[in-house]
Amino acid sequence: MRPVAAGFVLVGTGISLIGTSWDVQWHIDVGPDTFFTLPHLFIYAGSAIAGIASLVAVLAVTAAQRRGETPDPTDGGVPIRVFGGRFTAPLGYLVTGVGAAMFLLYGLIDLWWHTVYGFDAVLNSPPHVALFTTVSITMIGAVIIAAASREQRWGRIAMAISVPVLMTFFPITANAFQGLPLPFNPVVVATAWIIVLLLVVTRVAIDRPGAAALTAAVLLVMQGILWLFTPWAAETYAGAVGLPLRDGLGDESPYIPAGIPLAGLLAAAVIELLIKRGPVIAVGIAGLILGVTFQLQQSWLHFAGPSTLSVLVATAIAGGLFGMLGGYLGARFGVILRVREKVAA
Amino acid sequence: MIRRLLVVLAVLGLSIGTAAPAMAYEPVDIVHTERVQVGPYGVTVGFSTWPVRAMQSLDFTFIPDGGIEDKSGTLVRTLPSGAHYHPAPLARHPRKRDVWGLDVFALQTEGDWKFTFAIDGPQGHGEGTAPVSVLSQPGPPLALSWVVCAIPFFALVAFLVIAWRRGRKVSAVAVA
Repeated sequence: MRPVAAGFVLVGTGISLIGTSWDVQWHIDVGPDTFFTLPHLFIYAGSAIAGIASLVAVLAVTAAQRRGETPDPTDGGVPIRVFGGRFTAPLGYLVTGVGAAMFLLYGLIDLWWHTVYGFDAVLNSPPHVALFTTVSITMIGAVIIAAASREQRWGRIAMAISVPVLMTFFPITANAFQGLPLPFNPVVVATAWIIVLLLVVTRVAIDRPGAAALTAAVLLVMQGILWLFTPWAAETYAGAVGLPLRDGLGDESPYIPAGIPLAGLLAAAVIELLIKRGPVIAVGIAGLILGVTFQLQQSWLHFAGPSTLSVLVATAIAGGLFGMLGGYLGARFGVILRVREKVAA
Repeated sequence: MIRRLLVVLAVLGLSIGTAAPAMAYEPVDIVHTERVQVGPYGVTVGFSTWPVRAMQSLDFTFIPDGGIEDKSGTLVRTLPSGAHYHPAPLARHPRKRDVWGLDVFALQTEGDWKFTFAIDGPQGHGEGTAPVSVLSQPGPPLALSWVVCAIPFFALVAFLVIAWRRGRKVSAVAVA
């Protein structure tokens, strides 16, 4: 039961991520939108699969408890009493399920939004931000489920997949900060912050050398797959429905995979090597590396203006400081993921 | 239990598979036009919704007299505040390939916008500006939409704060 339900949650979040990358590229390369496009169906199916798997897991644990069995906290996380004890929900499945249910609710609000405002494809409309947040909540649930089974090999594999999925998806919301009048690039710094935070979460939760590096390696592989798949899928789908590509498309990199830092592995290596000796320095250097390299990457790929020295220095400093903050938060949340006992509020 | 889950997923997969052919892209339906002189070229600007409202997307078409075949150009959008976007090449409308246009495109703010065209063609270079008046946004106030749509974000923050506080109590004793 355990690996099956967790597997469906993981597959669901992966399908949501692929659908989102595909959908964004579709709007850039091709354009027209209806509610019933294949990328949209991927996004919705992903949340539906994760949500249904969570519901089944919660019902199974509830039924087991009613038979007199004690819930096992390695099965999806600490058991939580829901609706006055009518249900017993492992924390991970509860978070995943609530995220998926909210996603479907905000999907209806998004449909209403498009009937009022039309189908202009902007990332940062209020319902789109809500949808990104709810998918992120589902992905956080997937990380909690994986961490609960960290002693199992499949649990560690699930962790090495669920964390990079969240690393890729969560920073999309950071686009809302684009254009803020700051001396540094806020999108780059927000992305560096999230990646350092999640690398430390993984390292602390798994508590094995190499856990952060493995996560960063999987992130790189995931980036490569999305980089190849996304433009191909947009173009193939356009051909299948008889739509042309837009005029004036150059050799721009695919939007979502290009928004993943290429130097994650380097940052993870610094964390792996220095976290025991000097954790604050480790996460600060990791954030600084991500700040500098991701700023250069964004300029190189034309997703940001030219990197002047002042922007580069300011982004490096901000990356280092936010890396420290991410490391601090990540260490605490990593410990929380290891908690196995019920705790009174 | 697993079999039931697989049945549910199979039904979901089938519904996705059969829904895909039901996709349909609406044709570009122009309900209002304006004329603008761009140097030697007369241009008809078409709107699929009229009047134009802030944040509400519509199709724009830009049709120079004599067609787009032997011409090229750029469009600069100027906001009511006077700020303007970088010049964008005039591109064919994805669903009406014989004319230039902007597909499902929204002007975000209320007020008097300007579309400034620069066209190069057989009669040389020309420039001209079309005013585009944009009324207030439809729907509820934007602040209300943001409050409703920020609920998941604040729920996430509340969850993380609760987890943090409980984690602090147990981190010393209950780490497995």
